Amino acid sequence: MTKSRWKTTRKIRVAVSLSFLVLTTAIFLDPWHLMPPQFVKYLTSLQIVPVLLKSVMTGGAVATGGLIFVAVMTLLFGRVYCSTICPIGTLQDIIGKLSRKINRRKRFKYYKSPQWLQYSILVFGAAAVLFSGSMIIGDLLDPFSNYGRLTSGFALPVILFANNVLAAFLGHFGIYLLYDIPVHIHEIGMLFFAFLFLAVVAYLSVTEGRLFCNSFCPAGGILSLMSRISAVRLVIRDDACNDCGACDRVCKAECIDSEARRIDFSACVSCFDCLRACPTNAVEYAARFGGGVRTQPAEFDQGRREFFKNVGVPAAALLVAPGVVESGIVVSSSRQPISPPGSTSVGRFTSLCTACHLCVTSCPTNVLKPSFLEYGLAGMSQPMMKYEYGFCNYDCTVCGDICPTGAIMKTHTAAKKLIQIGNARLNKDECIVVAKKKDCSACSEHCPTKAVHTVPYEGTLLLPEVDDSLCIGCGACENACPVLPKKAIIVNPKPVHGTAKKPAVAKPKTGEGIKEFPF
Amino acid sequence: MDRRTFVKRSLGASIAFGTFMKAGSLFGALGGAELPYDLVAVKGGEADSMFDQGIGALGGMKSFVRKGDKVVVKPNIGWDVSPERGGNTNPKLVARIIRHCLEAGAKEVNIVDHPCDEWQRCYTHSGIEKAVKDAGGKMVPGGSPSYYNKVSVNNGKALKSTEEHEVILESDVFINVPVLKCHSGSKLTAGLKNMMGNVWDREYWHRTDLHQCIADFATYRKPTLNVLDAYYVMKQNGPRGVSVNDVVTMKAQLISTDIVALDAAGAKLYGIQPDDVRHIRIAAEMKIGREDLENLRIKRITV
Repeated sequence: MTKSRWKTTRKIRVAVSLSFLVLTTAIFLDPWHLMPPQFVKYLTSLQIVPVLLKSVMTGGAVATGGLIFVAVMTLLFGRVYCSTICPIGTLQDIIGKLSRKINRRKRFKYYKSPQWLQYSILVFGAAAVLFSGSMIIGDLLDPFSNYGRLTSGFALPVILFANNVLAAFLGHFGIYLLYDIPVHIHEIGMLFFAFLFLAVVAYLSVTEGRLFCNSFCPAGGILSLMSRISAVRLVIRDDACNDCGACDRVCKAECIDSEARRIDFSACVSCFDCLRACPTNAVEYAARFGGGVRTQPAEFDQGRREFFKNVGVPAAALLVAPGVVESGIVVSSSRQPISPPGSTSVGRFTSLCTACHLCVTSCPTNVLKPSFLEYGLAGMSQPMMKYEYGFCNYDCTVCGDICPTGAIMKTHTAAKKLIQIGNARLNKDECIVVAKKKDCSACSEHCPTKAVHTVPYEGTLLLPEVDDSLCIGCGACENACPVLPKKAIIVNPKPVHGTAKKPAVAKPKTGEGIKEFPF
Repeated sequence: MDRRTFVKRSLGASIAFGTFMKAGSLFGALGGAELPYDLVAVKGGEADSMFDQGIGALGGMKSFVRKGDKVVVKPNIGWDVSPERGGNTNPKLVARIIRHCLEAGAKEVNIVDHPCDEWQRCYTHSGIEKAVKDAGGKMVPGGSPSYYNKVSVNNGKALKSTEEHEVILESDVFINVPVLKCHSGSKLTAGLKNMMGNVWDREYWHRTDLHQCIADFATYRKPTLNVLDAYYVMKQNGPRGVSVNDVVTMKAQLISTDIVALDAAGAKLYGIQPDDVRHIRIAAEMKIGREDLENLRIKRITV
């Protein structure tokens, strides 16, 4: 066996991981909406936490296919996912690699990974979804969703700024290939938590390699369970090993016990760095049917024990606490949040959304924006309809087409046009027509169903009026209302979405063709 | 000098110059030559063939467009609806106007609107984007405030200043191409109301006095030419409409340099009196144009 073979394997792994990182980044940084929704759907169908939620809770061929693919891949080859498909995995590798360029003496050392924490988080997360309808674990810890929040929250404004500078420059010469796109910065509190996640993960990747993946990550937890029975695994051949410890020192998952010549494959992220590092080719990636090599209980490193006492346990408690008290805490806001059409109800939405913000970056009208605490602490960052930024386009179904978790279900255009996510309420006293005795009706003008229509009012004036049975709560009226500072027409949320009546329209009796000009 | 200042300064100069040039010619026709008609009304044909005949009666597009002119065509592209819904200007008409402008020697023909629905979906689903591209015109984005520059409306009563799209400000020729339809707020939308799509902050108009602001804005800039599309006419649930059933196929078109005369005739075509629409009445009172159709020279054509 030659060394070059493993070098190629590792190179392929690096190339695949970078490709996935670039593509995953691209779907979030696409303010021009160039990515076909179908492509986005296929790409995200490999993200284990969203796809598990989608295939189990709502179904769907692509999601189920993606789940089966990742499961089979893991059962055959171990946690390859963590070193290829996962954007946070690759991000950690990049941060770690850069840090080791600065601190060249950094060496990893085996310790037994705190999988008890990881599995507890998984169990708690599943229980939270099933029993209290809370997506707290996915919301806070899913790597894909965190990556989405980071790119949409921090990288997208930079891209938009660059786009706008270039668009202005080209526009000066009458070239409108690029166009100006208004930049909206997300809620600062939401951004703080996204950044906090990045800071913790970056710190861990510098000091402890892939510790996040083996302690807090729910995706890592699911795959770790599967990889315990993987067919092809990394093992150390007793006959070839010279106990040099090279594998141990390069292992960022810190799962190689070189003294015992054992690899804890359930914690291994299949980066193949050890294969390259081993001078005697004693580390092998080979089929081991029948359970492979059992990991032996090793000395628990005292320092690490302290770390988890000091950090892990309080962190876990922090995660658990809001889930338990969640239902009680809803931070007061002017009104309850409105969840997007296709989510069926606020309850269902908050129990399935992992807040990856793909719908936020894909929404053509910018009406979907991240919440902060509007859905409560456990629903932090989950998107909501914010009518101050836009309104839900009547014929648009993009968010449902691309939602990776199925929190927003795919709906056909005809059905979507009847989904009632709220009801408009007109405050007549504040309305321009009543208050100023002038025509306005911006609300009625924008209404796509004519639920908001106008009726004669004093003299020739036209006053808006709302027909609840036709109103779908799209927010076009609220967005268009010119009254300051508080709009005169506001959409009240429907926590459980309803179905509006289809507008019935009879053909006008006169006007078809003209015989003579009436002037 | 940043871009904004540059645009503003060059605009100041060109507006002053433009006003000077226009002072000599009644109704904006070129070279002081008076047009043979105040209003041309066409019926019975397709949107594009009706325009061929109508503009022919006014001496062709060369009466309005000189060689090397920058032309802006402003259709109604307000809504994310298909052409047969009558919510937007007929794409065939827009394309034919562009062709006439290019044949008359226009350097470039830009098409712009500030839509109510998401602008890109409006541009695409109205069919106008494709028609414009095929005809050799250029779609200009209008969905962001950065494209709009502040202008003062000196003769406005309620509207003293507003922001107009830069491409309109920089143009030599401005062609207003509204679609005729009913409107739940302004009663009717035609030439005067269509001009609301030139500006960014429409909320101010709605909040202040919609009809007065519509008339005021017409004092700021009189279009070189107005073409009212009455091929598909929305008779109810306007201005967006909810179904094709809102629309009648009227197959008519009006062309005039007088935006008030255009709207007055449009109102009658629609089936109401011009004075029933407050902004038409105000515009006539403010002498922006004439609504006394009986005293105008009208050419009536049946295709």
